[in-house]
Amino acid sequence: MPLGDFTPLSARPALAGRAEGAATASRRRRQTAGLSAERLSPFVLIAPAVLVIVLFRLWPLLLGVNFSFTGDGERNGAAVGLDNYAELFADPLFLGALRNVGWLVLLLPVAVAIPGTLATFIYLRVPGHRFYRSVYFFPAVLSPVIVGSIFNLLLSFDGPVNTLLEVVGLGPVDWLGDSDVAIFTVLGVHIWATFGMALVVFLSGFATLDPALLDAARSDGATLPQVIRHVIIPGLSRTIQFVFVTTMIGMLTSMFGLIYVMTSGGPGGSTYLPEYYIWIQQGQMNRPAFASAASTVLFLVMLVVGLAQVSFLRRTGKED
Amino acid sequence: MRGARLSRWLIAGPMALLALATIYPLVFTGNAAMKTRRDYILDRFAFADTLRWDNIATAWTSAGTARYFANSVIVVAGAVAMLLLLGSMAGFALSHLRFRGSRALFLGCLAALFVPFQVIMVPLVRTMADTGLVDTYPGLILAYTAQYLPFTIYLMASYYSAIPTEITDAARIDGNTTYGVYRRIMLPMGRPALLSVGVLNALFCWNDVLIALLMMPSAEHRTLMVGVTSLRGQYSADIPTFASGVLIAAVPVLAVYLFFQRRIADAVTAGSTKG
Repeated sequence: MPLGDFTPLSARPALAGRAEGAATASRRRRQTAGLSAERLSPFVLIAPAVLVIVLFRLWPLLLGVNFSFTGDGERNGAAVGLDNYAELFADPLFLGALRNVGWLVLLLPVAVAIPGTLATFIYLRVPGHRFYRSVYFFPAVLSPVIVGSIFNLLLSFDGPVNTLLEVVGLGPVDWLGDSDVAIFTVLGVHIWATFGMALVVFLSGFATLDPALLDAARSDGATLPQVIRHVIIPGLSRTIQFVFVTTMIGMLTSMFGLIYVMTSGGPGGSTYLPEYYIWIQQGQMNRPAFASAASTVLFLVMLVVGLAQVSFLRRTGKED
Repeated sequence: MRGARLSRWLIAGPMALLALATIYPLVFTGNAAMKTRRDYILDRFAFADTLRWDNIATAWTSAGTARYFANSVIVVAGAVAMLLLLGSMAGFALSHLRFRGSRALFLGCLAALFVPFQVIMVPLVRTMADTGLVDTYPGLILAYTAQYLPFTIYLMASYYSAIPTEITDAARIDGNTTYGVYRRIMLPMGRPALLSVGVLNALFCWNDVLIALLMMPSAEHRTLMVGVTSLRGQYSADIPTFASGVLIAAVPVLAVYLFFQRRIADAVTAGSTKG
């Protein structure tokens, strides 16, 4: 319960009792000044943050959408209607980037299932669960630049991973140079780097699970898959939903560093994602209005994918 | 019972392998940094016979790494200070003070959480350029503050809402104004939260490359992560020196992780379970 004006009220009788003569007026003035400062305090506390968020986060969003309907270069600032969008959807690079988003969506269940399964085992206390928890989490704190650089060394054509494959009798794979493979390589590295984050979220979801349910299932003789299917998945539906959405957002917005370091969008533009495309149009091609159109599309894609996931997961959650 | 114990170990096997796959890439890089070029080319897997630091020294002194490191420290320190100050003030106001429009403001902050940098980067950089903030430390600090503030406010508000109103009421009866409650109750009692959120934000800012790339175009203002990407071109034939550069960028993160592992995990999960 906030008690914004409690202090002045309680202080008033004491002050009024002591205040006499000429001092009263000035004291009362000071007191009302204190009162209004007190009443304004929530706004004073929150104003700097709101200012920063509105000026540098929300306003640019509107600015960007508006900007996407204007031209670049010679047509700088002129309204061009949907020209940018038409050009965008005719550009094979951008279509490739959207196709890669499709791959992300398809691979999303894998990216959620891996940390989910591992968290289940850790929760059920496999030997060494404490150790695994901290080891698995650790790549999640590394920068994509560091992760990308390390995997550039590991995945180079004559690098350690191919050497290992040779030992087992499999041919070398051109992990980053083959346009059919590269996007999956980058995605795999992204999953390697981020599953620890989802794992920790899963574990905190497990902390809210009622252990009595697990004991009951066990004493009824449920097998591990049955426990997972009938106790853990329904009990964690909120956490699973959260991980699905955050993992998807992570894939759409935090792979820039990996792509920048590992493939630069190549080979042949096969590893483009919308965010990388925006950066190229803005930074390299100097086409900010066109880049804004791509940004708007990315925003819509995220909105649609996010809402679709939430409604899908809610429906499956109800069926259980 | 015995069967359950056996299957536990069957699960532990793949888990141990995965743990190895998680650690080994870093071990490989650290090892490469300790080798001579010749040793690395002859055998990548063999462990370095001695710990040699000359590659690290080369990576540190050449290519401006020391400069980039200093830039990163300045920017991260500035951004974390701003984030903690603004985030704790707003978090306190939103969790403990009820005022006109507080709910709308809270929802506004949450909405900003779902506006990724990629979507606003073009107009943001333009605005920053118009105001002369591009390629300056305050500009990048401000960009990071804007980027991570919604999340920081959200975390601080959820931490602060755990502080019972009895305590703040008592402080008011003792004659504290709202500012006094913030300074004498919220800041000291919120210290664990400030530490967790500060560490997490420091990692975010230290690890970022996209915002730094856009906001700090000139070489002298490069942050360390952008510097590492430029090292690659420079030392493509000298893997041990390149690996050393990667290590220099990773070691502060590793140290922070070892010290604050629990706090980072707490801060990450505080965002997931509440609300």
